[in-house]
Amino acid sequence: MHLMFFKVSAILYLISSIIYAAFLLRSKGTTCLSGFCFVAAGFVTHTSSILHQFWVLGFFPMATPFDAISLFAWGVIAIFVALQFWDRNPVLGAMAAPIATVLMLVASTFSYQISQPIVPVLRSWWLPIHVSFAIAGNSVFTVMAMAGAMYIFQERLIKRKKIGRFHKILPSLQTLDTLNRRALPIGFFFLTLGIISGALWASSAWGSYWTWDPKETWSLITWFAYAGMVHQRLALGWRGKKAALLAIAGFFLVMFTFVGVSLLLGGHHSFVGLCGETVLS
Amino acid sequence: MTQTKHDFMVLGVNHTTAPVLVRERITFPGNQDGAVTRLVAQTRGIEECVILSTCNRAEIIAAVDDSEEVSERLIQLVAQIHGLGADSLIPHLYVKRRSDAVRHVFRVTSSLDSMVLGEPQIVGQVKAAFKRDAAANATGPLINRLMHRAFFTAKRVRTETGVALSAVSIAYVAVELAKKILGDLEHSEALLIGAGEMAELTARHLAGNVRKPIRIINRTIENACALAAQFEGTAEPIDRLYEALTTADVVITSTGSCDPIIMFSDMKAVMKRRRHKPIFIIDIAIPRDIEPRVNDLDGVYLYNIDDLQAVVDENIGERRAEAEKAGNIVDDEVRKFMNWNMSLEWAPTIVALKNKFEEIRINEIGRLNGRLAELNDTEREAIDILTKSIINKIAHGPISFMKQSLKTSRHNQHIDFVQRVFDLNSFVSGSESEEAQILDHETDHRN
Repeated sequence: MHLMFFKVSAILYLISSIIYAAFLLRSKGTTCLSGFCFVAAGFVTHTSSILHQFWVLGFFPMATPFDAISLFAWGVIAIFVALQFWDRNPVLGAMAAPIATVLMLVASTFSYQISQPIVPVLRSWWLPIHVSFAIAGNSVFTVMAMAGAMYIFQERLIKRKKIGRFHKILPSLQTLDTLNRRALPIGFFFLTLGIISGALWASSAWGSYWTWDPKETWSLITWFAYAGMVHQRLALGWRGKKAALLAIAGFFLVMFTFVGVSLLLGGHHSFVGLCGETVLS
Repeated sequence: MTQTKHDFMVLGVNHTTAPVLVRERITFPGNQDGAVTRLVAQTRGIEECVILSTCNRAEIIAAVDDSEEVSERLIQLVAQIHGLGADSLIPHLYVKRRSDAVRHVFRVTSSLDSMVLGEPQIVGQVKAAFKRDAAANATGPLINRLMHRAFFTAKRVRTETGVALSAVSIAYVAVELAKKILGDLEHSEALLIGAGEMAELTARHLAGNVRKPIRIINRTIENACALAAQFEGTAEPIDRLYEALTTADVVITSTGSCDPIIMFSDMKAVMKRRRHKPIFIIDIAIPRDIEPRVNDLDGVYLYNIDDLQAVVDENIGERRAEAEKAGNIVDDEVRKFMNWNMSLEWAPTIVALKNKFEEIRINEIGRLNGRLAELNDTEREAIDILTKSIINKIAHGPISFMKQSLKTSRHNQHIDFVQRVFDLNSFVSGSESEEAQILDHETDHRN
């Protein structure tokens, strides 16, 4: 059941990505209702898939890379759906849907089965707290980077006076910058809580808050990067293009911390050893 | 009347023939009530005239006699009115006569001669000038006719071609771009520096979107105040420029300054004070008011009129065809008008001919009155109709002969010939209203 829901969601995201891509190519009209409907349907099945897994496990489905990445995709889509109430612009969807699709595909390369019996350390209530905050932060930063990419693209068009047809469908620079300004503190807040909750969990599990495990180190680097951004934005009034570029750079750092570190550098969050049966196999 | 030949003439300067410095000096001051126009109309050789004076042009549109000296006289007069030497004026002046003059008036009124093709304000300006000068009794049947046909042509150009859309769409595109950069403009602040047809049009479009009153800065505070009243904005002196730039979000500049008024280094400092809040600047002035390099500054989006036009063209791309279409409409209307103008020459002769025949008819019926006494009313009426029909049939020949001859170069001789054949000399001074009726009838028929 859980897998079926997951697969259906991935397919719905994929269909919606194709619809959005066609919309971008045509660049006509200001809304893309069909694209949004498929995303919304995918969001519903995706939510069902996570709830179902929760019911099956009797605990939060957050321990495997599969679950984490799937939750990440879910978070990005959730923010996009929520943003539709703020600004109906479809271009964000044109970016969120493919990102979610790719994340779903990446997730499906990992095992969805948790090694039994579950390691006691993962049975902790810190799991949902820590993972939720971390994923929420990642999702917010992802959407922020998408807005940043749209900002850079549109800013170039306007500066070079080659407006073309895209300007009709892109949100205004002001809207995108507002999104950046509002998302930054929220994402930073989640990231901070994610790191703190991780430290507290580590303390309760292993008796030490901080062990300079690669994930911890890179999280701290990411935290400093975003702290710098918040400072530039709030204190120095950086905005517009600079803020958008930073959001994009920050996103790559987040992605490395989230996926790269686990794959390459090992540590507590290492994916190694978790491999079992994957969705694709 | 048949022998006094008239002609149309346009004499003036515009944005293509004269730099701002010259244009600025030729404004026909003191003409608010048409006094200057009346003065010009009283000059020997000038029958009727209208004076048009806008930011981009100053023109005398006149019906004159056929002599060549009249343009000399008019140039001297213009120089005298403005206290300039005629020699300093002549290089910037254009003088057009006959169909060229008519075409020029039609093109100007249709906004085909404007700095911004198709901008809609010029029709209103021409109308206002004509109304003023008509009220001052400086115009007559010729200029009245010319101006009415000009307005008719302008209307055709506006409704039948996309030319007018282009100027509106420049203003429209400017506002759309502003929205792309600044989002919802409701809380934005707009600043207008200087004045001009296009700047005001854009400002008007913008005013519909921003809630705060538009700030208007001008070198002369009086002009700023006048504009401020128009837009319900606030007028400010030029020394507040940098302070205004620090808070404004959309800026439209259109001053007549020869050098840029805002330089790169100035704007750099302004942006720092703005904390790099984005600013959209529309530079409509020619020459430019803003150093183009300003666009390189982060957060500054500088568009000049050509940039905006390029954006419009990107979307329309049919402007050349539209301008061509408008040109054809103007040519068509010029041809009609010139036909009417030619017809003026034979109209008095036709009136005279008809009057003479009618006189003969009445006289002959009067002579027979005694012998017709026994007839009843119906029979009298029949005789009336019969005799009228006979004279109309007879008149038809010479009238068509004259109309046909209009197409030849010898029409004056032919008209003279008809007058002599029918011995019309004592009749050729028919009332003007009668002539006008015939003319209107004829032209309507052509149309």
